[in-house]
Amino acid sequence: MPNKNGNVYGLTLLSPIIDDEKATPSHDLQIRKYLATLPTGEGSPFALAPGTHLARLVVMDDVIYVGMPACEEHLKSKYLVLESNFDGELDQYLNGLAEHVPEHLDAIWGHCFGYPGVANRKAFVEYMRACQLETTFFFAAVNDQSVPQTLRALHTRRAVADFIACHQGMEPAQLQAEFMQFVKELGSEPIPRPGSIGVVRNTKTGGRDE
Amino acid sequence: MSKLNATDIQGFVLRGYNLPLARYLFLHFEDACRARALIGRLLGEVTTGQRWDGGKPDSTVNIAFTHKGLVALELPLATLLTFPVEFQEGMKKRAGILGDTELNGPERWDELWREDRVHAWLGVNANCPEALESRCAQMLALMQETGGAVLVGSQDAAAVVIDGKPTTGEHFGYTDGFGNPEYLGVERKSQPGQGKLMPDGTWAPLATGELLLGYADEAGELPVAPVPHILASNGTFMVYRKLHQNVASFRAFLDTQGALYGGGREKLAAKFIGRWRDGTPLELSPDEPDFPLTQDPKRSTNFTYGKDPEGVKCPLGAHIRRVHPRDAFGFNGRLIDRRRITRRGLPYGRFVPEGEPVSDAEDRGVIFMALNASISRQFEFVQQQWIGYGNDARLGNDKDLLIGNHCGRGKFVVQGDTTKENPPFICSNMPNFVELRGGEYFFLPSITALGMIAMSLVDPR
Repeated sequence: MPNKNGNVYGLTLLSPIIDDEKATPSHDLQIRKYLATLPTGEGSPFALAPGTHLARLVVMDDVIYVGMPACEEHLKSKYLVLESNFDGELDQYLNGLAEHVPEHLDAIWGHCFGYPGVANRKAFVEYMRACQLETTFFFAAVNDQSVPQTLRALHTRRAVADFIACHQGMEPAQLQAEFMQFVKELGSEPIPRPGSIGVVRNTKTGGRDE
Repeated sequence: MSKLNATDIQGFVLRGYNLPLARYLFLHFEDACRARALIGRLLGEVTTGQRWDGGKPDSTVNIAFTHKGLVALELPLATLLTFPVEFQEGMKKRAGILGDTELNGPERWDELWREDRVHAWLGVNANCPEALESRCAQMLALMQETGGAVLVGSQDAAAVVIDGKPTTGEHFGYTDGFGNPEYLGVERKSQPGQGKLMPDGTWAPLATGELLLGYADEAGELPVAPVPHILASNGTFMVYRKLHQNVASFRAFLDTQGALYGGGREKLAAKFIGRWRDGTPLELSPDEPDFPLTQDPKRSTNFTYGKDPEGVKCPLGAHIRRVHPRDAFGFNGRLIDRRRITRRGLPYGRFVPEGEPVSDAEDRGVIFMALNASISRQFEFVQQQWIGYGNDARLGNDKDLLIGNHCGRGKFVVQGDTTKENPPFICSNMPNFVELRGGEYFFLPSITALGMIAMSLVDPR
């Protein structure tokens, strides 16, 4: 089945950006500016709304003419591209975004042709669906686990490693007692928030200078 | 691929000299014309890759330039701009990409490397102190005579001497200097385990373009190189890093962790690296060192990790498994063939045997020098992804135990089995065993290119 791989959905949306000569700056520039200041980590809209493993928003201006012998072609419009890997079904995901980050959606897609706004939820979902392209092949390195399962697993992995590091060489009886207590506490600990896991790395990846 | 022209390639690129003493002189050019005159005079001194049929020389000389040095030599702008970005920027500016922050940050480097005055590296290797002193004196005399350069720093390095004999040991107490890759066209005794792994399990030399500019690399492409071609061809890039070793911290850590580890202190020391202290690979001899094995070139580097996917013999995070994963990532090892580097270098500072008082504050460590055709694709990738991060090895955020920039937050997992002698174990709250004290990226040109630079004949058109 296209768009899905196990429990993970691979979404591709292309929304045409409004072409209005009177707009200053142009709508695509306004989207770019907004995206450039969008928070990452825990403050990202995709962390605030449920279900996203990985998402990317891109402004696509045109196809690039690479010179002879390629033929010169152009898109009919500039597009806003959303690629996202998330858990579950599309309607549920779109409704989740609409519920948790309506102001971001309106601020971004408000520059797209025909966008009805989040306030009209039914029209919003229909609009997004109309912009969808079938995703025939995608790769999400999430082992078919949901976002909460993944966050829980990462948290457990770290907690178990810390537990072992602090308890190595302990008497078996005491070790067992402490382990039981540890497991009990671990089970009742909240799932870490999306975007909160992992140490801050100074490493830049994918930059143009690498 | 025909045989390389060894008379055009600096000897330092083609072979480890295996000379016990070295002094690296760092030069600053004040005047392009006089600096070129100096290079012209040095041309006859530079050791090439020619075979030493008449016996090993008493000393060798090699030269390499920073980008700032090439600017000072007034190479044409159209040439200067064509060098790879990371070389133009220099190592200090790459600190973010390399994870050279906090304890390893440039603000903590030696003064020589905090400033931007190093224009050239003049490497002198020698077989005895007299030969080293006289060759260095000769170099300084040349600099003075021509007025071509001033000395802004120097670094002595020497093989660790044990029982009066120079060895391949290093300060933490391990035998070093096994594996360096083999390359097509480089004349060398072949050793299984040192090139690239082939589908039939044999080893073959890597493409020449992984080491030298101007030749096809493992992707069949020419490495990114400056124009004109003849300036780049037969040259390479060198990464120079002064790595201070906190020997007291390392031994104390090994003492406390070794007391907790079921396999004992020495086995834990072996698990850290992937080799026992004498160099025996854990993968071939997991239970005890096997000295004859280390002396057998057919066996000492001839192993893979495919049959040890869980790291039961050699931990997934062991130093040699991280920096040279062989087949550990599957696909017959093909994912690593463009990430290999050639290591040169020597320890510096006084060696202190186990059991004798030692302090982190004493000046000792290793001068790490790596040669590669692409600093960003090879050295920087290994440093960023395999030393500073653990994802490829399925180790999350864990860094390399030995040289990772842990800042007290490091973790190292020793995988094991259910036997008493080989239990799983976790080390945590690791300090930095190694701290970066500075370094730079250098271009090591061919003999032809040195001549062009000396005669101001570099023409990018």
